[in-house]
Amino acid sequence: MSPLKALIDFFDVRLGVREIYQRELAGYLLPRRVNIWYTLGSVVLTLFIVQILTGILLLIYYVPDAEKAFQSVQYITDDVAFGWLFRMLHAVGANVIIIALLLHMLSVLFMAAYKGRRELTWLSGFILFNLALILCLTGYLLPWSQLSFWATTVATDVPGAIPVVGDLLVEFLRGGETVNNLTLGRFFALHVVGLPLVLLALIGFHLFCVKRRGISTPPFGEEYQQEELLPFFEHEEHPGGTPFFPNYVVKDAAVICFFLAFMLAIVFYAPGLFFPPSAFEPADPFVTPPGIKPEWYFLWAYQTLKIFPSEIIGLGVQIIFMTFLALLPFIDRGAERRPAKRPIFLTCFVLGILLFVGISIWGHYS
Amino acid sequence: MEQDLMAPKQRRKFLQILAGGVGVLLAAAAGWPLLRFLAPPGGGDASDQVTINRGEVAPGSVHMFQYRGRPAVVLQPSPGEFVALSAVCTHLGCIVQWQEEEDLFLCPCHAGRFAADGTVISGPPPEALETLPVTLEGDQILVG
Repeated sequence: MSPLKALIDFFDVRLGVREIYQRELAGYLLPRRVNIWYTLGSVVLTLFIVQILTGILLLIYYVPDAEKAFQSVQYITDDVAFGWLFRMLHAVGANVIIIALLLHMLSVLFMAAYKGRRELTWLSGFILFNLALILCLTGYLLPWSQLSFWATTVATDVPGAIPVVGDLLVEFLRGGETVNNLTLGRFFALHVVGLPLVLLALIGFHLFCVKRRGISTPPFGEEYQQEELLPFFEHEEHPGGTPFFPNYVVKDAAVICFFLAFMLAIVFYAPGLFFPPSAFEPADPFVTPPGIKPEWYFLWAYQTLKIFPSEIIGLGVQIIFMTFLALLPFIDRGAERRPAKRPIFLTCFVLGILLFVGISIWGHYS
Repeated sequence: MEQDLMAPKQRRKFLQILAGGVGVLLAAAAGWPLLRFLAPPGGGDASDQVTINRGEVAPGSVHMFQYRGRPAVVLQPSPGEFVALSAVCTHLGCIVQWQEEEDLFLCPCHAGRFAADGTVISGPPPEALETLPVTLEGDQILVG
């Protein structure tokens, strides 16, 4: 008997692992025409794991103190063996996660996978997306460079547009009138403990929703049939479908490898892509560098605030848009999922993407 | 016929070995930077030297300092004579303390006692405190 078989036997008689394997992996069937867009959830999960691992490594040397934070990051980058690699993986990874999350959400929207009583899956995913953005924002301050200091100053200033409580909110966020050592302390605590705990809980809930309700069938091809919704809970089965393991896992692994390769390509061949010169200067609360801009994924929000004559209108538009997206499955109640049969939605979808890209480019060059 | 049946098995075995090999290579490629990242920064070499102002070590008193990342002590047992020792007890690694009234080092963990030159007086320490080379250069004491 091979040692591997003996090991599996050992666990099997104690935990019934072969039965779990059969039920949850080889016997767990996905829709037959499942496509690579379905793999983006696994990509995001893998990238989150990379972020957690590299984040833990950076914590070994990082000092969350306004006097020492910049030097500690410089020390990691310049002196610790392979410190530059783990820092770059963490910084670039944050950007790649947002790309993967956006693609994941767009594919779910395009295939209307939020339909068929999957409101909770969509809502938890949407909150996860926003949580990832907040993680990016809180992590951005930690290097305590000119870029991080002033980008955070601009970002934390936004709630100030809210009438009556705006100024109080800004002060509460910053732990003072301006960004200071206390801001660093609370952003650090949020970034490394608070938000990751919420994130892990939400990922767990999101995966539970996906698994419990069942994977939605791609709305393409002649085989596609509109699912009939019964008045009680039902798990969507896919008899004769693709086994999760090994067929689908191989597809998952291939796309994950592609994203990791993409991330490594940026780390090795375009390391300055997300690091403008102000990222290499220590924070100076008395000198604002010219032309400070938020990260690319916040440019649309930044420009929206500038387009409208008053900040409160700009902020209101953003809140309305985000609330609409969050509640989309409750608003779009039609059963039809085929994109070609939803011309109004498809038009809004394409125009929405163009608007996002257009406003972001405008924000970048404004 | 038998050959046809064997071929897929052999192919599967070959692919398993290939995937395993690639996996080991990837793990090594990821593991090496991780090990180097976690490894302590390189300690000083033999040329490491600590400079202490002579005024900081009064006769009969001691001055504690770090030598190659470990606590050390320099004392002036008699005027003009300087001795430098490792302050790490040779028993279980606690840091010895100078007892000025008794002219000896006491380890607070298990009451090991060392003379001013580092030799064991009593207690469980198996050997003397490590002696460090000392030279005088004007008002400076050079250790190492």
